[in-house]
Amino acid sequence: MIKRRPVVAVVDDDPRLLESLENLLESAGYVARSFSSARSLLISGLSGLDVLITDIGMPGMDGFELCDLVKKVRPDLPMFLITGRHEIADADQAEGVSGCFRKPFDAQVMLAAIGDVLRKSKNGG
Amino acid sequence: MMSVWSRRPHFLHLGLFTAAYVLGCGFAQALAIVPGTGISIWPPSGLFMATLILASRHSWPWWVLGGCLAELFSNALWFHNPLSVALLIYTGNVLEAVAGAWLVTWACRRPFRLETLQEVLTLVVLGAGIAPVASATVGSATLAWFGMQTFAAAWPLFWLGDATGVLIVAPLALAVLQNCGGRTQLSAARWMEACVLGLIFLGVAALSLSGHLPSAYIVMPPLLWAAVRFEFKGAAVALTLLALITVVFTISGTSQFVGDPEFQKQMQFALQLFLAISAFSVLTVAAVSRQHQQALLTLRDSERELSQLVDMVPSHVWRLTPDGEPTFFNKRMIDFLGLDVADLDKRGMSRLEAVIETIHPDEAIGFGDALRRSLATGENFALRYRLRRADGVYHWMSSRAEPMRDQNGRIVQWYGLCHDIDDQMHAEEALRRSERELQQLVDALPVHVWSWTPDGKLAYVNKRSLEELGLSGANFEGSTMVAQKLVHPEDAPEVLRTSANCLKAGDAFMMRYRRRCKDGSYRWMEGRCEPLRDQDGTIVHWYQVSIDIDDQMHAEEALRRSERQLQQMIDAVPVRIWSVRPTGGPIYFNKRYQDHFRAVIPNFDALGEPRIETLLQELIHPEDASEVQCTLRNCFDTGGGSAMRFRWREKDGAYRWAECRVEPRRDQDGVIAEWYGVSLDIDHEVRAQEALRERERELSLLVEMVPSHLWRVSPEGETTFANKHMADYFGLDVEDKPRMEAVFNTMFHPDEVDEVWDVFARCLRTGEPFSMTYRLRRHDGVYRWMSGRAEPMRDESGRIVQWFGLCHDIDNQVRAEEALRRASERLARATQAASLAELSASIGHEVNQPLAAIVANSQACHRWLSAEPPNVERAKITAERITRDANSAADVVSRIRALFRQTTNAKSSENINRVISEVCRLMADEIAAKDIRVETNLEPDLPPVALDCVQVQQVLVNLIRNGIEAMEAVVEGARALQIRSSRDDLHAIRVEVRDTGTGFKDADRVFEPFFTTKQHGMGMGLAICRSIIESHGGSLWTANDEARGATVAFTLPLATNGGSATMS
Repeated sequence: MIKRRPVVAVVDDDPRLLESLENLLESAGYVARSFSSARSLLISGLSGLDVLITDIGMPGMDGFELCDLVKKVRPDLPMFLITGRHEIADADQAEGVSGCFRKPFDAQVMLAAIGDVLRKSKNGG
Repeated sequence: MMSVWSRRPHFLHLGLFTAAYVLGCGFAQALAIVPGTGISIWPPSGLFMATLILASRHSWPWWVLGGCLAELFSNALWFHNPLSVALLIYTGNVLEAVAGAWLVTWACRRPFRLETLQEVLTLVVLGAGIAPVASATVGSATLAWFGMQTFAAAWPLFWLGDATGVLIVAPLALAVLQNCGGRTQLSAARWMEACVLGLIFLGVAALSLSGHLPSAYIVMPPLLWAAVRFEFKGAAVALTLLALITVVFTISGTSQFVGDPEFQKQMQFALQLFLAISAFSVLTVAAVSRQHQQALLTLRDSERELSQLVDMVPSHVWRLTPDGEPTFFNKRMIDFLGLDVADLDKRGMSRLEAVIETIHPDEAIGFGDALRRSLATGENFALRYRLRRADGVYHWMSSRAEPMRDQNGRIVQWYGLCHDIDDQMHAEEALRRSERELQQLVDALPVHVWSWTPDGKLAYVNKRSLEELGLSGANFEGSTMVAQKLVHPEDAPEVLRTSANCLKAGDAFMMRYRRRCKDGSYRWMEGRCEPLRDQDGTIVHWYQVSIDIDDQMHAEEALRRSERQLQQMIDAVPVRIWSVRPTGGPIYFNKRYQDHFRAVIPNFDALGEPRIETLLQELIHPEDASEVQCTLRNCFDTGGGSAMRFRWREKDGAYRWAECRVEPRRDQDGVIAEWYGVSLDIDHEVRAQEALRERERELSLLVEMVPSHLWRVSPEGETTFANKHMADYFGLDVEDKPRMEAVFNTMFHPDEVDEVWDVFARCLRTGEPFSMTYRLRRHDGVYRWMSGRAEPMRDESGRIVQWFGLCHDIDNQVRAEEALRRASERLARATQAASLAELSASIGHEVNQPLAAIVANSQACHRWLSAEPPNVERAKITAERITRDANSAADVVSRIRALFRQTTNAKSSENINRVISEVCRLMADEIAAKDIRVETNLEPDLPPVALDCVQVQQVLVNLIRNGIEAMEAVVEGARALQIRSSRDDLHAIRVEVRDTGTGFKDADRVFEPFFTTKQHGMGMGLAICRSIIESHGGSLWTANDEARGATVAFTLPLATNGGSATMS
């Protein structure tokens, strides 16, 4: 049996950051799916996703709102928040969120955190 | 006895009588020529008898007594008879005088005047003939008894002497006694005649009696002359003279009657006879003459009276000859015509024609014909015609004439009578006219007039009645039937019965009934019938009048209905009404009042007709009762109306305010006929008024106490009110006008005084509200800032009635604002520092974004190279991306540096159009690359603006770039960017940048520091732009265009006017 590669969705309105995260995740062996807004993610659907990474400050629906929505549909889906503003960094205390990273974040730490949540969900599941 | 005494004669008369009696006795003694034969003539008998004839019978005893004294005195003086003889003889004399007087007065009635033949004869026969019988008999018997003479010899002499005495003396005495009061005046001719007669008489008497003439009787003609011409007085005087002459001659002895003694007796008899015959003749002639004179006098009188009668009779009397010639007009006719019969001859025509000429031409011919016919036939003449009076006015005359015929029936004369009937003719004409008018009146009256005979037959029906009933006048019985049929069936029996009863009893008839008209409808009539009675009360006629009273009946019905409605209204109106007569009659209360009484006063009905005092006590609040009573009494006394307010008791015992108005109603004469009162419950009103007064007091207090100046100004600008606060502020008395004027002239600060007055005057003129801020001088000289406002109050027509103004002290506020402004400036500076921190956070974000990408990419690059086999291709791509992102970060930094590079530069006065043009030139390449057209619309001659040129250029560059980026997504249509500059208002200019892009989706958030909609924006542009503009004292805002695109505009204050426009 071929082991399926985990799918990580990234939502950010900055195309340069989206591009760099996709590059990073693919280099780490994940399947990366990029969305420029929360709306485009919801249109695409949440099924098949293993991890969600979303920016907080976005036009339209922001990161917190997206998290609240996703929690209702996929309470098991691990989510990470990323933000460019240090003042709202305490948002990592938000409920049901696996982690929060401030830009510029340490890519190794992020990949490790993703690996952790995927292992936990496999053991739990 | 008393009656005898009380009727005593005058004693002077009695004395004279006695004296005359004595003289008479002396005269008789003188004539007693035959001794022993007594006297030949006894004058006292005439005197005595005449006196008694004239004296009243009750006084006779006195005359008898006087005569007795005189006779006894004479007896003692001359006769010397024994006393008894003298008394007896006197007794005879008394008998003679009394009998003579009684007989004469019995025969002739009093007063005895000796004027007619009858009276003379009576005196001669009864007085001189019969009465002496008594004295002669008594005297002769006495003489015979005493043997002095024989009865037979004495009696004739005695009788004749007494008779002669009566004949001679009685007329004289009567004449003297009757004429002693009034003297008859004789004319000179008569006196001459009397004198001549007297001489002749004396001569003849002297000659005849002295014997020179053959007979004594020759003296008769003068005697008779005296009697004829001078009647009784002449006769009496002549006889007396004759007697005196006879006495003289007899005494002297030369008389014819003095002769031989043997003949003496005969001679005396002859003398007596002579005197008696003379006296008788003379008296008779005098009487006849007197009677003839009287007859003549009477005839003359009667003729005069007749003539006067003819003249005075109020008619014309005239006489015609048988052939018609007028011979006499009476005086009235002469006066009327103005001419006499004789005047008719002068006209040259016959008298009759002249008369006809005076007759009115209309009747003249008829008059002539009628008169000639009467003259010809002898028929009586009667005609009415108009006769011309002397003044030319014609009068109606009624003339009649009848002929007088002699024994043969021949007409001797015509006598005519003609009287004035002018008034009568006019009266008759007036009567006819009035009768005609009355007839017309009766026919014209809008009533039916009928008259009935006493037995109920119809005698007259007036024209209107006939016409309206549709009857002919001839058939009166039919009229009655029809009239009865016309009465309404319901009324007919009653009408018939009543009319029959009235006819029977003679009472007046009056009934109202309905009668059918021509058109078949019934109308109410009033029939009245009354009898006309004559003096005896017998009914002569019945007169009936029927009047149409239908309208009146309906009016009365309407009146009753209206009265009922009025009563209902009075009972229904929610007020209490009463009325009372001034005489204090029963008080009337309407139903509401009575209900009120019943509700409030226990056992009100038991009071019957309560007195006002009782009601007042029961109803009205004890504090008000006495005043109400006093007011009412005052009203009734003075007759004036009044209105009083008091509290009355309601059924629950509570008192409510009421008002009672009292007014008198007066009749035409102004006398008070009735008093009316209306009582209204005004409790709500009174309480509302109290509340209103309370509110007014509060409001007034409010106005006084409000800590602002309140004032009122007339449309002409005169201050009519200033509240206490204002007065206190200026330290003046509102009533003190001159001081107020002085204060008002100096109250404004010298810096604003002209402007304030100008504005206020303009407001007064135009009516626009006044609002200004200015400084007012307080009484202590301190100026304080005030905010003054005034608005006009207008009436319905929009005319300004008054201005109300409010002015409140904003001095503290102004100073606070000043302080605030200074604080605000300090705060702005602090804020600038705070926004630096925020700005640094923004900058951090802008830089962190590419840094995060760089970190991720470098980690990925590392992974691609570390992979087995290393993915060089991906690593290369990733490395390129890292370089790109790093450059991007460097750009950000350089842009930020550019943004803050010149913040410390001082502002300079610049032309905004020049700044805009420079920016456009700098960006020309960038704009051209994006294929965008830029349109500039710059207003020329804009004033310069104080600005930091670089900062404002940054703002413009930012806005132009925003616009370019907004239009990047736009595919269709022209991509045009429009830049405009213009004068915003007096103190600013305005710049607009308009694109035709997608517009702002979230206009509220565009100024938040990290809000951006741009793919590559860092969300800072507009926030920074706004802070730059605001630091210049202007403002910046955004707006979406209607069609598409967005506009960003900002204003910048003008450089020349840096301060505030307002005084504050």
